[in-house]
Amino acid sequence: MSLRILVVEDDREIRAWLQSTLSVEGFEVRTAVSVSEASALLRHAPPDVIVLDLGLPDGDGVELVHEVRKHHTLPIVVVSARHQEAQKIQLLDAGADDYLTKPFSVGELLARIRVALRHRGTALAAAVTLHALDDLRVDLALHSVQRGGETIHLTPTEYKLLARLVRSVGRVVTHRQLLADVWGPEYTEHTHYLRLYMGQLRAKVEVDPAEPRHLLTETGVGYRLAAV
Amino acid sequence: MKTAHASTLNLLTVRNGAIVVVLLLGATACGFLLDQHISLTSQAMLYVLAVVIASYTLRWQVSVLCAVAAVTVFNFFFVPPRWTFEVENREHLITLFTMLLVALVISHLAARLRRETEAARLNARRAQQLQALATDLSSATSAPEMKALGQTALDSAFDGPCVLALQRPDGALDLPMELVSSVGDGMHCCMRELAVLGPGTGRWPGLNAWYLPLGDKGHTSGAAYIPSAQAEDTSGREHAQALCTLLAQALWRMHLTSSMRVAQNETQRQQLQSTFLAAISHDLRTPLAAVVGAASSLQAQRDKLSPEEQDRMLGSIVSEASYLSSVTENTLQLVQLSNSSQELHRDWESIEEIVGAVLARVRQRDPARRIQFKVPEGLPLIQVDPVLIAQLIGNLLDNALKYSPATIDLTVCTAEHQLRVAVKDRGDGIPEDMYPTIFQPYSRGDSSGQRGAGLGLALCRAIATAHGGTLTLRPRAGGGNSFTLALPLASEQPPREIP
Repeated sequence: MSLRILVVEDDREIRAWLQSTLSVEGFEVRTAVSVSEASALLRHAPPDVIVLDLGLPDGDGVELVHEVRKHHTLPIVVVSARHQEAQKIQLLDAGADDYLTKPFSVGELLARIRVALRHRGTALAAAVTLHALDDLRVDLALHSVQRGGETIHLTPTEYKLLARLVRSVGRVVTHRQLLADVWGPEYTEHTHYLRLYMGQLRAKVEVDPAEPRHLLTETGVGYRLAAV
Repeated sequence: MKTAHASTLNLLTVRNGAIVVVLLLGATACGFLLDQHISLTSQAMLYVLAVVIASYTLRWQVSVLCAVAAVTVFNFFFVPPRWTFEVENREHLITLFTMLLVALVISHLAARLRRETEAARLNARRAQQLQALATDLSSATSAPEMKALGQTALDSAFDGPCVLALQRPDGALDLPMELVSSVGDGMHCCMRELAVLGPGTGRWPGLNAWYLPLGDKGHTSGAAYIPSAQAEDTSGREHAQALCTLLAQALWRMHLTSSMRVAQNETQRQQLQSTFLAAISHDLRTPLAAVVGAASSLQAQRDKLSPEEQDRMLGSIVSEASYLSSVTENTLQLVQLSNSSQELHRDWESIEEIVGAVLARVRQRDPARRIQFKVPEGLPLIQVDPVLIAQLIGNLLDNALKYSPATIDLTVCTAEHQLRVAVKDRGDGIPEDMYPTIFQPYSRGDSSGQRGAGLGLALCRAIATAHGGTLTLRPRAGGGNSFTLALPLASEQPPREIP
């Protein structure tokens, strides 16, 4: 059975393009032009992934994300324009899985959907505990971090930060989510903690901290641990 | 109101009478106590003392009464024959008269002194009030706020209820509903005549209140009404005028500032509009033509085109369209930044991180890794909008990649409380006479047919300025250009010791 994608997008051209592009890749695509239509479709036949455009005519999509998160763990990829930073972060904090900035290429979209699907059900099944990419290897079960086969010693906070990103590998994690999960909910405004600790962590993990391979910055939004 | 006034008056009279009685009783008692030891003259002095005290503390009518009473009482108790109102000796008669005269003179002098002291105190208080009002008005930002300050000042300076009204846009006064219509008429009248009306002004002296206009010829902003005015109270009227002038000046100043702002906004809006039009004509039309051309060729002649040609056209569609996208982004961002109400989303950021993220994007167009990045360790954090700073650095790097065939150096350093990010290329040096215009929208340095970032540098400078920083261009030793972004460093860094 092919995977079902719900595309919520009000622009006809982009909707048609997404439909044909995703169909070619073997997805079963359904489309909705508004938040209300999307909610109706969701109740009727829940898909496996949602691609949600920001700035729909009848709402900003936050309610939709809340509604989906009440019943489902299915991944949501938000599509936004460049100037919709605040709204995008709001949706990510509300439970959306990832985002794409318009204009984006097919390649980027498929990569995001693949990562989102890989995480599907992690809330129920065993979470990601092992991450290996190039020279980096993180095993959360063994509490070990290695670079090029050599063990790296991290402070407890550095480790918590890295572990949080490993659990969402490939997906963006917002500043707020990181601060809340690593330091606690009362620290969500202290972004300078993140800057300082991410600097330290990169110095230990990255070969060239100035141009990171693993710990990627999503400017103004959060961080992402590279999956590929 | 009237009865209350009368009863206070009665109370005052009773109190004054009581004071006089106490003073005279005291003097009489002392006189009897010292009767055996002192002469009649000294006893008279005791009464004079009582009169002096009365003159200094009570109103002049009461003190004159006190003087007469003192002479009478002194005559009755002490002047022979005692216990009568008769005077036996001529010398004693003279003593009595002298005493009365002394008492009256002292009373007069004391009363004058007291009046002067009171006037001086009142003047000081008024000067202080003017000063306070001026200070308050300078920090007020709206007409209602200024009106409230003026109302409070008038109410505290005069026995109310004073009325202060501002002019509406239609020229009429914005009067309170419950106001008596004659008062409103008076206020309108003084505003029309631009003169103070009421007692002591020579205009409408029959009124019992002052009507003062706010402002001068050409810019009246309202009027004030001060009831229970006295013709002889010149200083009070002057004070009222001073308060009104102060208020009018503040209102006028605010009016000028706001109309200046409106004019500025209008100019800015027109500038933006022309910038935007220039963007469309200059930077959007050509790539659009290329996209439409390539796409229509593919649509109409696909079968005749070789696969290589098809690929080239598809590639051109993608690259032209992404160019359009970046021009659109830059234009929109510039418009947003020029809109002064737009706030920056500042946060504590690490410049190394921002540059790293920019490089991750720009490297796609830099396969030969021509950009060399040097960053020292332990750089301070900066409070900036990361998306904008990333856009700025990205634009500079894109430009450098486009114009310079050789290595591009990207360096970061701190100096003089600034964080400096420099992008240095080896491209053709920009002529120095073009420096002032290069950061303005649409003044690209070349006419070679190669497309520039259009608004790119204008946006870069706008971003730098919005952060309180600068973006400067210098020729580079050995050829090429050096763009330097300098951002002010916060005087206080967030603590490095954290949980």
